[in-house]
Amino acid sequence: MFQAWQEHVRLNRQGLSRRGFMHAVSASAIAAGTLSFRDVVTVRADDLRRQGRSMILLWMQGGPSQLETFDPKPGHENGGETKAIDTNVPGIQIAEAWTNVAKVADQLAIIRSMTNKEGQHDRATYQLHTGYIPSGSVKHPALGSNIAHEIASAEVDIPSVVAIGGGRGGMGFGGTSAGFLGVDYEPFQVADPSRLPDNVAVANGEGRYRRRLGLLGQIEQEFAQRGGEVVVDNHRRIYDKASKLVLSPKTKAFDLSDEPQSLKQQYGSSSFGQGCLLARRLVEAGVTFVEVRHGSWDTHQDNFESTTRLAGEVDPGFAALISDLKDRGLLETTLVAWMGEFGRTPRVNPRGGRDHYPRVFNAVLAGGGVKGGQVIGASTKDGTAVDHDPVSVPDLFCSICHSLGVDPAKENMSPLGRPMKIVDGGQVVSTLFG
Amino acid sequence: MAPWLSRFWVSLSVGTTCLTGTLMVHAAEISSPTAAEVAQQVDRLILTELEAAQTPLAGLANDEDFLRRVSFDIAGVPPTPQQVTLFGLNPDPRKRTEVIQQLLASDNYGKNWGSYWRDVVYLSATNMRARGASTVFEEWMVDQLNQNRPWDAIVTDILTATGNIGENGATGLVFAHGGEAEEVAAEASRIFLGIQMQCANCHDHPTDIWKREQFHELAAYFPRASVRPIQVDGMQRGFEVVSVNQTQRNPVEAFRENPERIVSMLDRNRDRKLSKSEAEGGPMGQFGRIFPRLIEIGDTNKDGMLSVEELRKIEPPMMPGRGNTEHYMADLKDPSSKGTLIQPKFFVDESQPGKGLSDLERRQAAAKAFTDPENPWFAKAIINRVWNEMLGQGFYMPVDDMGPTRSPAYPEAMDTLAAAFVAHHYNLKWLIETVASTQTYQRQVRPQSVSTDALPFASQTPTRLRSDQLYSALSTVLGFSESAQPARGGMMAGGIYGGGRSPRAQFNQIFTFDPSTPQEDITGNVQQALFLMNTPAFRNAVSATGNSRLSQILRKYSDDQDAISELYLLALAREPSDRELQVCQKYLGEVGSRGEAYEDLLWSLLNSSEFLSKR
Repeated sequence: MFQAWQEHVRLNRQGLSRRGFMHAVSASAIAAGTLSFRDVVTVRADDLRRQGRSMILLWMQGGPSQLETFDPKPGHENGGETKAIDTNVPGIQIAEAWTNVAKVADQLAIIRSMTNKEGQHDRATYQLHTGYIPSGSVKHPALGSNIAHEIASAEVDIPSVVAIGGGRGGMGFGGTSAGFLGVDYEPFQVADPSRLPDNVAVANGEGRYRRRLGLLGQIEQEFAQRGGEVVVDNHRRIYDKASKLVLSPKTKAFDLSDEPQSLKQQYGSSSFGQGCLLARRLVEAGVTFVEVRHGSWDTHQDNFESTTRLAGEVDPGFAALISDLKDRGLLETTLVAWMGEFGRTPRVNPRGGRDHYPRVFNAVLAGGGVKGGQVIGASTKDGTAVDHDPVSVPDLFCSICHSLGVDPAKENMSPLGRPMKIVDGGQVVSTLFG
Repeated sequence: MAPWLSRFWVSLSVGTTCLTGTLMVHAAEISSPTAAEVAQQVDRLILTELEAAQTPLAGLANDEDFLRRVSFDIAGVPPTPQQVTLFGLNPDPRKRTEVIQQLLASDNYGKNWGSYWRDVVYLSATNMRARGASTVFEEWMVDQLNQNRPWDAIVTDILTATGNIGENGATGLVFAHGGEAEEVAAEASRIFLGIQMQCANCHDHPTDIWKREQFHELAAYFPRASVRPIQVDGMQRGFEVVSVNQTQRNPVEAFRENPERIVSMLDRNRDRKLSKSEAEGGPMGQFGRIFPRLIEIGDTNKDGMLSVEELRKIEPPMMPGRGNTEHYMADLKDPSSKGTLIQPKFFVDESQPGKGLSDLERRQAAAKAFTDPENPWFAKAIINRVWNEMLGQGFYMPVDDMGPTRSPAYPEAMDTLAAAFVAHHYNLKWLIETVASTQTYQRQVRPQSVSTDALPFASQTPTRLRSDQLYSALSTVLGFSESAQPARGGMMAGGIYGGGRSPRAQFNQIFTFDPSTPQEDITGNVQQALFLMNTPAFRNAVSATGNSRLSQILRKYSDDQDAISELYLLALAREPSDRELQVCQKYLGEVGSRGEAYEDLLWSLLNSSEFLSKR
């Protein structure tokens, strides 16, 4: 951490930017002994506890219908034609298309009482990624970047935040960027999990690539001497990271080809399924936060056909991910979250669809210390409201932070010198952790 | 002018035959100081302070460095090797002034700054659907800039725009924020006045003098500007910015604002409840349309009817920017209540346009207040941006956070520029010509002094090329034409909005940064480095075989010193130093294969930090 601070300062042209200054204040507080030795030890112990923790977010873009996923209402008119099936936990039923997930329900905590106010895709996507509603003037860091900023190990050659699959907008948009935390925590985008990420493979062999890097280093010296040394230094740091990614054996983690065929099949042939398998490999390789995106759940028409098809793409990957992580002993340290930006109207519209409905939706957590085999909260019988134990977006985010050993009240400094908490408000849903 | 020089000027002034390039001067402006005069004054004011602080000055940049910098800053493209060589040979002492004017007269000037404003406005967009319309805004902006419409006229159009967002680019800012009054107000203030008031949205500004009420008074200029889907035969065909005045109220809002009144109006059988048929009996059936939705979320006793009490408790999902005809400041202790009605009032001069005005009356009043010559922030904000873009740092930093309690570097220089810019009726080309004409702008970059609190502008600073500039540089060096470049391999899949985008737009998706970001925070990232190193999209273009630019050079120059120099001129717009020549020649010797070695050299030049920077 201290090293990161030094690096930041060194990189600034003027020595200390306003942001750097705020870092400097806290760092010098440590240096000046404002923190006792015991505090420092406690901090270290906390670090140790969090080590190796990671999170996989399964993002359902478009707003998945709670009634066709984990909160079916088969007896009620609002439930439509969707049937419910039993899971491996007595008393917990989910929608019929989720046959594989039903077999790992003992690992899942299903939250049926998510509630929010944002009913527009952009704003809600932003909010469910950052914990904040959008504002033109502040680019809030995505939760994944915040988490990596807190707990990622500096020693891993590959990026600490990875996003798999095309998403709304792409890089830097929709609250999926590192915001003011900077490039070190910017999600590394993998468009297609079935092949290496774009531009990681070298064209003309490794030897030639190394030779070129050598020539580049020599060529850079001229500009460094002519007044560009800060820029050159910065550039070298980024290129070091990029070439580590190109040359590191860890980059093999992005390559699914040596996974057994049977396991690949278990994850499902969809891009999402393969993305889940990649997510597991990345977590194994030390990546802190992986988002696997799937869309589009925006079922304004033909809700029932569409959600059956969509669930068919997600169900095998989701279930295989849980059991695979468990088999490898990784589920205890890996939090898996399944969610989208809002739910859908309980009443079916005339086109057989469901519209946006932030008032009640659901989310699923597993692993990372979460007690499985339980349902948190409930919606009313007709599904139009939360019946008990409402969970807000900040509550959910606080709970995620708790699982990962991150203090949600920790403040980072925005560029305007305004302290921003990782999560603003909210409380840990304690029943999640049994 | 010698004939060879005329040819040169023609080739330099891309797409125009204007040979002298003198800016049009309106009769009224003749008494105003010229760009050269103001530039001298600004230099003197800056110099005085630098000398008083005994800061050593960097010398003036050589012709190569100046030409590359000014070409990027004004036209967003690098000079060609021929232009670099000819400019160096040109003995005319006025050549720098002339090249500045030539570049300002080229269409590339508007393109360069149009993409700048696109990024300023759209990279902060809170409405993601708006991104698809960024091109419309950009094209409109390019047009305004190339026509050299005055800055106050451009900003007035942006603040007061209505109409189809696909046809009227001026709607860009309102659309970028979905017509939400608070966001539009905050962004208009940040972008056009350099004042960040949004902290005062929820509380009095922590570090500035602004009160919470002042922010909401600014937002009260914009509540009636609304973004609506355009319906054609029941299908949605894009969006439009419309004025929502009293007559077109949103029925949900009407319900919320005064449920008693609505119920008494519609309640035919006087049971103090609304049934479906009663709701449908309302004006234009508008209450009937939303009735099922209201039942769904509000009918707590499940009798299929809505009572006043039930209506009052309904909290519709937030639909910002829709339907509010007045601005209400939320009650922080009771956020679900309606809040306090706020009337428009301009925080700078406390002017008030009046109550109950229509949308256009309000927004015109806002535009008038923003662009009033008496409002010091309007001129200073654009000057600060232009200066920041051209010198890597503004008088005020960050560039969009100027006031009111910050103090700028060289306040007198800023005041001088502001007064002259207003006297020139917000003439943007004049402003850029003035900045480019200062010796301060024309200084060279130099090794950094260790002192951290030294005054700025004793030398130029290396600054990173914007994404569009970098793409233009690549297309110039590699010789691909924009339309012919295939969009395949290596580019990031654009996701939902990525389909059918031009290669430039795909490139921008990887390389764009918000131009309001301080330079020291713009460091590039791993994805960009991977692209430049390994993208298959450039593989043919950097090859020494085929008909690439590189293979042409290798065929033309058999002497390696010439070939290396040509490659440096092409990529970096300068001759290599002796040391660089040695490094390159040594490398050629080691590799053996001439073609391979030059491919490596071109690769290294394109991946160098100098290529990515203005120097």
